[in-house]
Amino acid sequence: MSDVTSITMPLWQLPVIILLPIASVAALMALLRRISLIQSAPEEERDWSVPPFDDGAGTSLLHTWDVRCKIVTILIHSFVVASLIHLKPAICAVALSLTILAISRVSLVKVVMRLVAITGFISMFLIIMPFSAPIHHGDTVLIFGNMGWASFNLRGVLLAVTIAAKAVAITLLMEPLLSTAPLPVTLYGLSRLGVPEMVSQMVLLSYRYLHVFRHEASRMSSGMKVRGFRKQSDMATLHAVANFLGMLFVRSFERTERVFDAMRARGYRGSFPDPVELSLRGRDLILTGVWLTAATLLILFDRILL
Amino acid sequence: MHISDGVLPVSVTIGGYVVSGMLVAWSARKSASRELPKLAVMTAAFFVASLIHIPLGPTSVHLLIPGLTGAILGPSAFLSIALGLLLQSLLFQFGGLTALGANALMMGLPALVCGWLFQKFKGRSGVRPAVIGGLIGSLGTTMAAIMLSLLLMSGGEDFLGVAKMALAAHLPVIIIEGVVSAFTIGFLIRVKPELLQPFSINSSDSAHE
Repeated sequence: MSDVTSITMPLWQLPVIILLPIASVAALMALLRRISLIQSAPEEERDWSVPPFDDGAGTSLLHTWDVRCKIVTILIHSFVVASLIHLKPAICAVALSLTILAISRVSLVKVVMRLVAITGFISMFLIIMPFSAPIHHGDTVLIFGNMGWASFNLRGVLLAVTIAAKAVAITLLMEPLLSTAPLPVTLYGLSRLGVPEMVSQMVLLSYRYLHVFRHEASRMSSGMKVRGFRKQSDMATLHAVANFLGMLFVRSFERTERVFDAMRARGYRGSFPDPVELSLRGRDLILTGVWLTAATLLILFDRILL
Repeated sequence: MHISDGVLPVSVTIGGYVVSGMLVAWSARKSASRELPKLAVMTAAFFVASLIHIPLGPTSVHLLIPGLTGAILGPSAFLSIALGLLLQSLLFQFGGLTALGANALMMGLPALVCGWLFQKFKGRSGVRPAVIGGLIGSLGTTMAAIMLSLLLMSGGEDFLGVAKMALAAHLPVIIIEGVVSAFTIGFLIRVKPELLQPFSINSSDSAHE
């Protein structure tokens, strides 16, 4: 423990150095959430609680990229980014993702919504890790006033920020991956890559009935509200919610039968028609090559140079 | 809580994919292949159920329902949960795409165990199924919380503090989940008991043959 650098700070600096950044990040996130809510605000009755996938219309480099190449490249790249250890390459990965975001011209509101979705989990690391990371040789520790029990380990901060950067870098790529082609085409690409066709069929069916059941649930809950139900922290609420779930399952189960009968009546024999004709061109492979080279450079930077 | 991208070591994410992949294949084989479209539709219902928030003091929690899913779907539960988590990741970014395998293990294994336990001990009538339902509801969430902590700890000793915190955050959910599961199972026993039969999603099939 002798070579641990510990810096004692006056107690009043605790809010300035630690609480202020946390508060400003929280405020920024609240602002982003507000923006994404306002941006998606209903002019007419528009429901964003289950966000729709884009129809994938567009002419950017990513829109015209062969969907198989796109899936393979972005997935490999995501795993490469997830395996980074150091902060600098992780920040480079964020920069690369931002560049791709700019090229693909996808809806920024949805990108922001995705970032908001990961904030809760990631801020858990940002807040806890500086205090909980064990102190090793060569660490720098900030101690505020006489609060010796709450040592603020800068290595923990570095670790948490690296995790956050990697998470952001990968999350930024999800819209370019999913919104630059219609969902059925993306899933078709997946099945042409060898994933069993049943997987993409099941995703399509669940996605479609997700909206049906959400409307069903909202009808049921407006019925409950009309009858005077208000959510509170008590047993009666839990009972009502449980009956609600039970009813949702019963209705859904009965619907599965009707859905399946209707599909068979329309000639369903275990497969859907292909949505598009895929063709692989030279430029698709070049783009894959360029991107994967960038990913290789990232990992080399991470493992060899640092 | 769903693990996002960039948190777990790559060996764990890839290992999670491999094990989940095998369990998904096993789960799909256990459900008749022509029943898979129905399972997809049921998955949508469980997905919607997991979006329901319950107020808890100043904040609110949402249900995880691995126990209920296991009780209703049996061995098909793993496939259903993996599919639901894939959709959650694609739609909401709850849970990263690279961590999908690990997230599926975290929710799917408890569902399989709970489903098996429920079929084994549910009994025939009275309040017993509801009590067992409540127990597996709590157990499912407890197991999911423990799996989450174990997965986080795979990152090394630096992750220990976060893992403990994540485990503690699940305590209120464990209680709420148990109570809700008990009531839901009690409701289903009265209203539609065939939903709780083993392989209920398959058994209706005989009518078509």
